[in-house]
Amino acid sequence: MKNNARLERARIKMTQAELADRIGVSRQSIIAIESAKYVPSTVLALKMAEVFDCTVEALFELESDD
Amino acid sequence: MKSNYLFPNSFKKVGWVLLIPSMVAGLVCLIKGEIDAPEFPVFAIWADELFGKQLFFTVVENVIADELIAIGLLLGTVFVVLSKERSEDEFIMCLRLESLVWALYWNYGILLAAIVFVYGMPFFWVMTVNMFSLLLLFVVRFKWRLKKADHEE
Repeated sequence: MKNNARLERARIKMTQAELADRIGVSRQSIIAIESAKYVPSTVLALKMAEVFDCTVEALFELESDD
Repeated sequence: MKSNYLFPNSFKKVGWVLLIPSMVAGLVCLIKGEIDAPEFPVFAIWADELFGKQLFFTVVENVIADELIAIGLLLGTVFVVLSKERSEDEFIMCLRLESLVWALYWNYGILLAAIVFVYGMPFFWVMTVNMFSLLLLFVVRFKWRLKKADHEE
């Protein structure tokens, strides 16, 4: 699954640590999500979309092998 | 985030305090092959006399140093890996599960090889180490995965 988390975070000028604090997860989680090594739960995806003020679909995108 | 069956973060320090000295003492005992410590009377559910009869619900004389080392190793490793991280979340839980599965495969893979290729007293040594190796492999893998996750960008 692809995601635009890094781009969206850069757009609102937020650090990984700030985003982690805001949605109540570890910085490692943000690193893993941004590098597409971890697919977050629906709850976490919705929280991220809320912070970035976008939809989950705009943030995450299915790939052909998903 | 919900994180079931985990101890509070403060237990992690207790875990290291128990684990490190127990591991050192355990290694010393393994290398020396014997424990030079006094015996104490202890309650036993099941024991036996050397080449003698089986005893149930009795009191026997026993060197308790090895029991203390084993308890320290077990509680230490459990507290280290099953205490919440400072920032516990679903990703950390995922790393914990992945590390446990990895440790299970390696631990029992090594045991399987030992069953086939190790005989006599060395197999007894393998079984002794195997009592703790699953949890120790779990600790090593989990800590390594956490460290790696912290530096992956």
